[in-house]
Amino acid sequence: MIDIAITGIGVVSPLGVGWEAFWENCRKAKTGIKKITSFDTISLRSNIAGLVENFDPRQFMSPGVYRRMSRISRMAVASSVEALKDSGLILDAMDRERIAVIMGTSYGSSSHVEDFYISLLKDGPRGAQPFLFPETVPNAPASHIAMFHGITGPNTTFCQNEISGENAILYAQNLLLQNQVDAVLVGGADELSAMQYSCYDAVGALNKIKVENDEHIDPKLGDGLILGEGAGVLVMERLDLALEREAKIYGILRSGVITGGVTSVGHYEVEGEQMARAMSLAMKKANINPDDIDQIDVSANFSSELDRMEYNQLKRIFTKRMNNLAVTPLKYLIGDFGGAGIIRAAAIFLSLYHQLPLPTVGAQTLKGESQRSLEWDLYSTDKIQVALMTTTTFGGGSTSLIFTKS
Amino acid sequence: MNKNTAKRVVVTGLGIITAIGESIPAFQKALFNGECGIGPVSLFDTAGFPCEVAAQVKITDLKEFFGDKGIKRASRCDLLGLIATHEALLDSDLDSERCSEKDIGVVLGGGAGGMHSWEKYRRTVWVKKTRARPSLLLPIAHCTLTDLIASRYRLTGSRATISTACSSSATSIGYGFDLIRAGVHKIVITGGSESLSELTFAGFNALRLMDPEYCRPFDKGRRGLSLGEGAAILVLEDYESAEHRGARIYAEVLGYATNSDAFHMTSPDPEAMGMSRVMTRALKTANVRIDQVDYINAHGTATKINDQMETKAIKRVFGEKGARVLPISSTKSMVGHCLGAAGAIEAVATVLALCEQVVPPTIHLENSDPDCDLDYVPNNSRTQEMRIALNNSFAFGGNNTSVLFCRG
Repeated sequence: MIDIAITGIGVVSPLGVGWEAFWENCRKAKTGIKKITSFDTISLRSNIAGLVENFDPRQFMSPGVYRRMSRISRMAVASSVEALKDSGLILDAMDRERIAVIMGTSYGSSSHVEDFYISLLKDGPRGAQPFLFPETVPNAPASHIAMFHGITGPNTTFCQNEISGENAILYAQNLLLQNQVDAVLVGGADELSAMQYSCYDAVGALNKIKVENDEHIDPKLGDGLILGEGAGVLVMERLDLALEREAKIYGILRSGVITGGVTSVGHYEVEGEQMARAMSLAMKKANINPDDIDQIDVSANFSSELDRMEYNQLKRIFTKRMNNLAVTPLKYLIGDFGGAGIIRAAAIFLSLYHQLPLPTVGAQTLKGESQRSLEWDLYSTDKIQVALMTTTTFGGGSTSLIFTKS
Repeated sequence: MNKNTAKRVVVTGLGIITAIGESIPAFQKALFNGECGIGPVSLFDTAGFPCEVAAQVKITDLKEFFGDKGIKRASRCDLLGLIATHEALLDSDLDSERCSEKDIGVVLGGGAGGMHSWEKYRRTVWVKKTRARPSLLLPIAHCTLTDLIASRYRLTGSRATISTACSSSATSIGYGFDLIRAGVHKIVITGGSESLSELTFAGFNALRLMDPEYCRPFDKGRRGLSLGEGAAILVLEDYESAEHRGARIYAEVLGYATNSDAFHMTSPDPEAMGMSRVMTRALKTANVRIDQVDYINAHGTATKINDQMETKAIKRVFGEKGARVLPISSTKSMVGHCLGAAGAIEAVATVLALCEQVVPPTIHLENSDPDCDLDYVPNNSRTQEMRIALNNSFAFGGNNTSVLFCRG
């Protein structure tokens, strides 16, 4: 089996723009959940989300380039610029046809969908704004990344709700294993928009918190999910080739599995059996035991269905360690979105590389029974060799990925 | 991967619903007869648009047609997809009992998904200033159909939804092929679905890419595309598994490729490099020589630029001489451009062409264009011996996919 290495990271997140700022705030478990100011939330039951602030696309590209891009495309391209630079790959010295761009997103530019449709409702069939339409396709961010860097290799976008980024990682792994490409920019991105937020509000999926300002945000565990936004890009290469060019190696993607559970539209898998099956299969493929895992990154997002189900299934897998099992629910800090898996993976790779654990909470927290505010355990000094990232999405899909230091 | 030991991937089930046929037999008949599905749209008001027509599926009650009036939270796109899936699974002799025993994956391509449902909601809120039914919002996720199929048939394998506009479902066939070749699954349900929506209808109109009458691919007088809707599902299976259970083998998937123009969001690059490179890459991956290809099911949207560029790309790949003897047709002339479902619908057309040894025609092709001077099989289908066929899909954003099929 050929190992796949991660050699570059780019992040535009609610915890900061650029991986250094992200990592610093991540270590502190600083929250990226803030009061929404970019659109009107008066008629809604919630007004908080994981928001990207202080993002200036000019730091990454010229105004002429990003002028027609949606917010999601700008964040995605910016992440790709950082990740490529970080990887040390010199595109001009490579065959650009042997580089792939594989992205995951839940909705693409939902703001452009809304703006375009409103232009139609307002101004009629001949008034709809043509320049808004091309950005409505979910593959726009991946296409902009390809255009920006002149990358002409395989290019695909996955939309599988909360496992979109994870889907992209597994497709990218397959491209590398088949030797179709030399490197992959694998990414995830989503933008917070009034369209998407109001839909989630209307179906009652959101944590019903309304705040006056950022200071008093204390999300209720198990009350409903909190949305987020951001983009992340990882550079994936075959380990042997990365070693050959003496690249910085953040860690290894050891194995990955997707499974599907049975559920109805808009809900998570009820028992979570398939989520547990994904974890077991991923560990089996990587030839490791539950006891070997030093860090567990879960996909809990404050929703009552998901968090409790994750707890129950972790209990099945990590039976012996359950009393003091610590987990990292990064979405508690950045919010939930389809591309979040890439940012979560970025956090794990930074942690493996720096040998500094991610902040954790006790697994019991996921049960949502505590009335107290979230308490994070920071700055543990445990050594980390193996990390598990589990993700379950509404609609029923689950993924499990195993990452190792070497 | 060692080519000698690589698993072979075959097609063992087909399902389809389009404006020219709501089942494989009906579609096949209309396809070979060159019937046109483009006409008035009843799904929403199209008055006032430069183009007012599209290829709408004719069934008025999709729930009834599907045989499940009680189905909830499914958009029009989801219903079309479920109908095609039902047919494909029956065709493949995979009833729900047998499905649950196996680890089957579902990989679909999608376009606008439940957009039509969201539009109903948004329009009500906008026009009437009242609250609308929130359940209309549940199927807006692009992967709703994938999840619905997996849940309905209790499939617990991989699931993925690819959304690369017009090449989505072609790439889904490719990913299904990968999953079987890699030994992850024995069976993968692939394909895609698309329903007409105001968003795409207004969008292509706003970009002035639609022919007001009907699309005429490769014709000198072509003025743009006609939108369509429908769904197509292909059950892909490991050859040994198919042989073992005695399944009917329609065709073999030989390989595929995807790439990016890296040029422009809505126009192909003027040298057609992206299109020609993706065909070359697919041929290389599938280990097929250019002289082995007997038919091309073209992307053939009937926009001025696409047809010209696709012709150029085919000539570049197959050579002037080689290109001239290749029958090429655009199924879109009959079913319209079904966006996220287009790749799968055209893949089904390609597989049927190989099975029946009949080349489907390009209809509405009256006047030859010096820029499009190849054999597009104008207006009448043709009986011809064919073994290997290439299926092209090119999308917004410069996302190209080519898939190669071989007669079963």
